Amino acid sequence: MDDSRMDDGNRTGMALISAQGLSKHVEGPTGRLDILDDVSLEVNAGETVAITGASGSGKTTLLGLLAGLDLPSTGGVSLDGHALNALDEEGRARLRLRLVGFVFQSFHLLPGLTAEENVLLPLELDGTPDATTRAGAALDAVGLTERAAHFPFQLSGGEQQRVAIARAFVHAPRILFADEPTGNLDHHSRDAIANLLFALNREHRTTLVLVTHDPALAARCARVHDLVDGHLQAHAQ
Amino acid sequence: MIVPNLALRALRREWRLPELRTLIAALLLSVIALGAVGTLAARVQRAVLMSAAELIGGDLGIDAARPLPPDFVQQARALGLRTSKLASFPSVAFAHDRSQLLSVTAGDAAWPLRGKLLIAGRDGRSVASHAPHTGSVYLDHRALVALQLKPGERVQVGGMNLVVAGELEQQPGSSGLISLAPRAVMALTDAESAGLLGTGSRAHHQLLVAGDVSAVAAWRTWATAHLPNDAHLITPQEVQQRLAVAFDRAGTFLRLAALLAALLAGIAVALSAQRYARRKTDEIALLRAIGASSRYTFGNLAWSLAVPALLAALVGVGIALGLASIAFAYAHGLLPPSARNTPLPIGPAFAAAGVGLAVLIGFALPPLARLKSVPPIAVFRRSAATTGRRFDVLYALPVLVAIGLIALETGSWKLAGVLAACLAGAAVFTLVVTLAIMWLVRRYVARLHPALRLGASALTRRRALSLVQSCAIALGMTALLLLAVVAPALLDNWRQELPPDTPNWFVVNVQAAQRDGVRDALARLGATRYNEMPVAVGKLVTVNGVDVENQPFRGHDVKRDASQQLRLSWSPTLPPANRMIAGHWFTADPRTPQVSLDVAWIHRFDLKLGDTLGFLIGNQHIEARLTSIREVDWSRFNVNFFVLLDPAHGQTLPHTWIASFHLPPGHARALAAFSRDYPNLSLIDVDELLDRARQIVDQVTAAARWVLGFSLLAGALVLAAALTMSAAERRHEAALLRTLGARRAQLRMAALCEFGLLGAISGLTALLASAAAGAWLAHSVFRIRAFAPPWPPLIVAAAVAAVVVAMLGLVGTRRVLRTSPLRLLRR
Repeated sequence: MDDSRMDDGNRTGMALISAQGLSKHVEGPTGRLDILDDVSLEVNAGETVAITGASGSGKTTLLGLLAGLDLPSTGGVSLDGHALNALDEEGRARLRLRLVGFVFQSFHLLPGLTAEENVLLPLELDGTPDATTRAGAALDAVGLTERAAHFPFQLSGGEQQRVAIARAFVHAPRILFADEPTGNLDHHSRDAIANLLFALNREHRTTLVLVTHDPALAARCARVHDLVDGHLQAHAQ
Repeated sequence: MIVPNLALRALRREWRLPELRTLIAALLLSVIALGAVGTLAARVQRAVLMSAAELIGGDLGIDAARPLPPDFVQQARALGLRTSKLASFPSVAFAHDRSQLLSVTAGDAAWPLRGKLLIAGRDGRSVASHAPHTGSVYLDHRALVALQLKPGERVQVGGMNLVVAGELEQQPGSSGLISLAPRAVMALTDAESAGLLGTGSRAHHQLLVAGDVSAVAAWRTWATAHLPNDAHLITPQEVQQRLAVAFDRAGTFLRLAALLAALLAGIAVALSAQRYARRKTDEIALLRAIGASSRYTFGNLAWSLAVPALLAALVGVGIALGLASIAFAYAHGLLPPSARNTPLPIGPAFAAAGVGLAVLIGFALPPLARLKSVPPIAVFRRSAATTGRRFDVLYALPVLVAIGLIALETGSWKLAGVLAACLAGAAVFTLVVTLAIMWLVRRYVARLHPALRLGASALTRRRALSLVQSCAIALGMTALLLLAVVAPALLDNWRQELPPDTPNWFVVNVQAAQRDGVRDALARLGATRYNEMPVAVGKLVTVNGVDVENQPFRGHDVKRDASQQLRLSWSPTLPPANRMIAGHWFTADPRTPQVSLDVAWIHRFDLKLGDTLGFLIGNQHIEARLTSIREVDWSRFNVNFFVLLDPAHGQTLPHTWIASFHLPPGHARALAAFSRDYPNLSLIDVDELLDRARQIVDQVTAAARWVLGFSLLAGALVLAAALTMSAAERRHEAALLRTLGARRAQLRMAALCEFGLLGAISGLTALLASAAAGAWLAHSVFRIRAFAPPWPPLIVAAAVAAVVVAMLGLVGTRRVLRTSPLRLLRR
């Protein structure tokens, strides 16, 4: 890690994710469209937070801003004390590599790589020495050791998402962002994936920010926020 | 190293992607096409040069008025070259109370180093020989007839009594304009001992060398630096300007053909790269989202392209060398035996690999570089990857690569610019026609049959894609028609420039009083196409009133050329095979003398219209104003002159006449009696040169077929790449339409309509663009004047190509139609 500002960041008394006054608007054919308006959110280390809302309410946009995939129109986000606004895209990428894991609705496995190679990806990016052993352990944790040499197109939807979860946890990120992790799965796989996700989350003590419109999945988080008309509303659990 | 590992791993699967395969196949094809043609051209050029070397009797020579200092031979031997000395001089021979002036060549035992000295023995059979032994001489048929001799009898030459050892049939160096008939060949030692080469003799001395190409080049450099004032180099390249034109044309033709194949491959690369980049967008977005640096991401992308590209380039080099060898073996019969064992040059094939990689980078980089702007947020929203499109300066890269490639292959920036402009013109024309058809479709689509409506509106639905596709297919088809239809027509025209009755003899030194007699005598011998022009011999003495010696000419050679004896003529009309390129033809009876020059003189002596040139002809001094510049087509074998005066002033000068005529093969022996009747005339035989020029055309035609094959493959690749570009969208759309209840027949009709329109647009553009480019190439590059685009075959070929596009499009949708919509939607 060549950025000296990125110290261990295990700071007490400070929110791991802090978003202040976030707003995001885009220019559409009919004029300005406000997707998020003055959203603030603090997530402490180890917390599980769900963001729910109707389709098009801006959940994914918020997740993208929190993870530093995009920059807000106004306001700011800091991850582990690092203000994302102050970093360029390369700097944000380095921070994500160190702190963040992702699980996507559409899995996003690289089609040219086997299951094991997909899991290896974050470790190789980070230059981890015992990458293969750790990737094997991660695949074992999601019950796919037998499928390590399979390519994504040879796996079912549920299996692909398990590979994606193994990839998300393999480099022990402190934060996991999950975007509709069960959205593309059938009823049976949905429960299995949710169980796996929360079990691994507990095991790794990861901070989880989950975007979903599934109330049942949201209910498994300690905190739920509803996104309505670009505003965040807290739900008591 | 992490990056290559990931790239290599990904390649295992990515190799199955049609885009990557097309990309690599296009690279492979361009390397093979350029490499095979480059290698073959270099080898054939070397072989043809060797065959030209046969005309001079060695790889290189020096002609001097005095014997050359011994260090020229020593230097050649030190470089491992073989050497041969000879001398040529006129001498009167006596036999049976008859005498005859002979053009004698006296050679040493090694002469000729290249080519053949053919002698008919007493049994009438031809045998290859070297210069005769001491005490013997070879005489040609005319000399034998004139002196009433037979082989075995004795003749006196230069005071020596020599035995006629055989009838001379062919000798190297006999095709030049200086050779005089009849001819004799004797031993150099005899000529020396008879004192024929001593001080005051009219002998010209030659030193010829032959051997390894690099050693010859080294000797050439040394010899040029040490050349005495009265000596000049004799090179195969310069042996005949007429052959040089044929060499140039042959090389340009083949290189242009290969170039078009490479440009076609470039289009295929660009299309596949576009599609490949689109496929890679998700992957790049994901890698960026999980924290990969842009260096890593692009390093990965670069490696995953570089590894197969480098492998393909190497394979291409191998195949190119193999094909060039096969092609060379195939053309083997056309070459002289000494030229058949020329080594295979490997440089051009590796250079082609470099060019192929440049094409890949140039054409693939712009779409791939766009991936750099894919934001990580595109992992959620794909649309984020395509927003904010702007003009990227990188898109100028393929244009620059294409122009650079054309310039590299043709060696001319002007040609590169014009050819690129032609292709760009074709592209713009296609865009305009496609947009016009889209406009018509939008306006009148409602009146069409529903299935046709579906197909026609598919063009407008995928507007950008349709424009790219129609452009690519039209450019591909233009190049194909250019090669498949226009090029053979060009070759035919070239061939027709040297019809069987092309003048193959020149007669010089005809006096005014002999003109009618000579013409009639030759006509009786069967000569046709008799064409005569006056010729005066003089010198250029001043330019714009300043002596030639004091002119600031570039280089010693130019100054020497300017002060050499020159032959000039005059004509009331522009002679055949001449083209005016500046100024105006002579006015009738001008008050002051006017002169017209060939463009080569203009460049060599840095002249311009309006300059005044002073000539000394006999004892007359003429100051003539330069009023026109001509371009002479020296390949036509007509009588032509660099310098033409206006007839009013020209005819007052002391002059003789020169004529060209065609004498059918086999009639040459009858000229013996003719030369006896007109002993002052010199006859020059250019049949051998004509044969060489025809051979070159044949070789090019044979090689062009190979190159055409590559181009057809490249064209097919372009088509495949263009069709796969929209394949995914098309599959999805067809599946959706079938789900909504569209019948297969309707979808087939829609596809036929869409591809029919694409084919028609491309066919029309290709038809017009290839005809225009062909006419321009014929006129400006190959200087074939009588060329008219071969319209009937062009129209048929364009129609066939348009139908093929429509059919291929239809075939491409068959798979879509056969598969269940559900499976398609799940993909």
